[in-house]
This record gives sequence, structure tokens and C-alpha cells, in this order.
Amino acid sequence: MEISAKDISFGYEETQPYLFNDLCLKISSPGFYSLFGFSGCGKSTLARLLAGLLKPQKGFVIKKGITNVLLCYNTERLPGWVSVGEHLDRAVSPKSSKKDLRYFISELGLSSVVDQKFFRLSMGQKNRANLARYLVQDFDMLICDEVLANVDEPSRNHILSLIKYRFGHHAILFYISHNVEEVCFFSKKIFVIPTGKETVEDLIEIDGLDGRDKKKEKGRQEILHETILKVLKAASYAYGQEI
Amino acid sequence: MRLLQFLVIFFTFILFLEGVKYGVGFSDYLIPPFFEIYGLIIHKWKDFFIPSLNTLLVAMAGHLLAILLAAIVAFFARGGSMLSNLVRTAAYNLQAYPVVAIAPLVFIFLGDGLASRLLIATIICYFPLLLNLLGIFSEPVEDVEHFFRQTGRLDSRTEITIRIFENLDKMITVIGGSSTLAMVGTIVAEFLAATMGIGYVIRKALYQNNLAAIVACLLYIGLCSSLYLIGVELLGKFIKKRLMA
Repeated sequence: MEISAKDISFGYEETQPYLFNDLCLKISSPGFYSLFGFSGCGKSTLARLLAGLLKPQKGFVIKKGITNVLLCYNTERLPGWVSVGEHLDRAVSPKSSKKDLRYFISELGLSSVVDQKFFRLSMGQKNRANLARYLVQDFDMLICDEVLANVDEPSRNHILSLIKYRFGHHAILFYISHNVEEVCFFSKKIFVIPTGKETVEDLIEIDGLDGRDKKKEKGRQEILHETILKVLKAASYAYGQEI
Repeated sequence: MRLLQFLVIFFTFILFLEGVKYGVGFSDYLIPPFFEIYGLIIHKWKDFFIPSLNTLLVAMAGHLLAILLAAIVAFFARGGSMLSNLVRTAAYNLQAYPVVAIAPLVFIFLGDGLASRLLIATIICYFPLLLNLLGIFSEPVEDVEHFFRQTGRLDSRTEITIRIFENLDKMITVIGGSSTLAMVGTIVAEFLAATMGIGYVIRKALYQNNLAAIVACLLYIGLCSSLYLIGVELLGKFIKKRLMA
């Protein structure tokens, strides 16, 4: 299982300089990966390029052993004319079972809202309902673009642990978030887009803690802090800022 | 409320008319006195109300036909294929023709019966409906459609259902607005050549220089249009309430 971006260049307008120029990225095994960067640096664009929703003007995105790439994002909405539960029931892919759906509904804290219409839910519930339907699809790679942006921290940690351990061994999870701590803690590898340059030419790769329990292992807390610092420095290095 | 608003506007118009009559000193022949208009409205209401109702029924049928036709054309014209582009271009070009200029052709081919009235009513409210429905049907609602597209479930039916639901308020406004146009279309058809309906009554009154009868016609046309518009709006609210429940 491998996905790689080879020297991809992309810009939204021909007159503007490229947003990405000859950018490379490679993920060659299943697991939890993250993309980090400050607002407006091009995270969602890169995610869409990887998902095949945008085409690079130069270069290629090559997939080996990956057929289904799904991308979900936080402003998605469920159809409003049916209840959340009814939509989720219909959305289960043939390979997933209703049992899986019930499990995710329960684990994502959606049991109390399945009879409600989507527009009546809180922002956090909306995020969770949206993610739940993606988790019952067949995918080899799931790109989550700030998909838990409105979810409270304890729930977010629980959901990330859940999807990491449920899918992390056979699928690629590509998580995009502004929360540097969860990115560092859960990820096997963090791809950082440096901010401040007009055109991004390189991603900075930093090893994450891959979900190792910081309380059980001695020194993990310090490693986590070091990783957070590295990621923040990498993200803002073009500004020359000292973190 | 809408009915009350119409009555206020109508009686303000009558007052203005009477003000001009007595201010300038126009004769009763040119502007009839208020009591003559009042007498026609109250005592000869059947002569105006029944033709207005007849016009309203034709307008409603024409409106329904226009909605169906516009929805079907907008459905096929919404995509990016060559056929869709052709239908879209034809729709935009055809609407540039004034319906009154096309109306004589309709009367030549279909005579002055129900078919002509229905067709002209349909044509008049069809184009604004088509342009709006085209806009609604061809504009993706990305935040809802994305999941269906990603998972290969976005068929035409789902796509249209999403777009209609997400633009429900706009649809109700457009359909409500075009209901008045349907009434206008039917009256224009009746005025031009038909032998029934309130448009025909207006034509007769015009030939007799009977301004009191024309004013009475205006009142009953306004009442019927307002009632129809209220009906369409209530139906829209009911549908929305049911869907949102």
C-alpha cells in the first residue's frame, strides 16, 4: 500500500505563482499520518490533490494497492429531509455491516441524535455524524480535513484513538488538524507545510509518537513536547520565528 | 394580510382617480363617479367574478404546466453535455422574444379557445421559471453532494433532491412570483383573442369606453391573483414544514 506525490505543481490561477512547486510526499504503509500547517498554507488543497479531486498541473499522484481514497471535511452536511439515523442506515457500504454502524454511532456519541434532523444538531454532533458515515465505507485511505474541528477535546481524543486502532493497521488515515498536540501524539509521521513562502517546494517530515501512551512510558511527555516544538518551528520557519 | 394590502392599494387608486376627476373637472363619461363603480362591483359582481374565476382556473392550469415543463427542461439542461448546452442556449435565446409577439401565431394555429389561453399563460410564466430552475438544478451543493459523489451514490434523483431541498425557499418564492405571471398571461391571451375570461370582459369594456367596468375587472383580477398567491405561499410553507419536521 503506497501513495506518493511526485514533483507535483499546482496553482489556482494561471497568472499567480504556483501554490506548490515540485512537491513530493510519500506514504508507504498503513497507519495514522497528519498534515499540519497554519491557516491558508494549502493543507486542504494538498488533501484534494491526493484524493484526486484536483489535478496537479505538473507531476503525478501515484497509488499502489490503494483503490478507494475518501476525503471528508468539517463543513459537510447530511441531507436535511431524512433523520441522521435513516441517512446513516442508507449510507452503510455493502461491505460494512449494520453492526459496525451501531458501534460507531455509540462510540461517537450519536445514539441520542439518530432520530433528529441534521440541521438540529450542535456543531460537534454534526462533525461526528459526518465522520460516522465515512467510517462505514470501504476505503484504503481516509483523508480527514479538520473533520473534528468543533468536537470537544476528550471526545476528539477518544474518536482519534478509536479510528487509529480500528483502521490504522490496514488503511492510511491522513489527518489534517490545527491541534498540534493531537497531531504529534497520534501520528506516525507529520507532514508540515511551512508558512510564509509564496510557493511551497518541500514538506517537512517529522516523526510523531504514533499514539504511544505518554503516561505509561517514561520520558514520553518530554518527547511529546519536543515533537510539538519541532512541528511548530517547522510550520513557521519561513517567518524566522523563535518558538 | 396580502389581501388587505391589495384592497388598500386598490381603494387608494380609486381615490386618486376620483381626485383627478373632481380636481380637473373630467366628465362622468371619462371617469365614472365612485357610486357607479361601487354599484358595478357590488350588484353586478357575477359579471366580473365568474370570468375572473374562469381566468384563474386557466392560469392555475397554465402555471402547473409551466412548472412541469420548466422542471423537465431544467433537468436535462443542467449538465455540461453538448445537449445540455444546446437546450440552455435555446432557452436563453427564446425568452428574448416578447410573448405578445408570439401570441398571434398561437391564435392562428390553435384558434381562440382554451388551448390558446392555456398555452400563452404557460409561455409567460415558463421562462422566468426555467431560468430560475436552471440556476437551482445546475448549481452543486458541494457540502451535501460531496459524500454521495465520493461514494458513487450521486445519481440524478439524489442530485436533484439535494438541490431542491437546499433551495426550497428560493423555489417557493420563484413559483409564487410566477403565479402572478400566469394570471397576467391568461388575461393577455383573453384580451387579444379569446371569447371567455376576464380579459375578454376588459376588451368588451374598452370597446364601450366603460371605465367603471374596467376598474371593477381590476378589483376582481387583483382579488383572484392575491388569493392564488396566498394559496401557493401556504402550500410552500406546508411542504417546508413537513420536510423540516
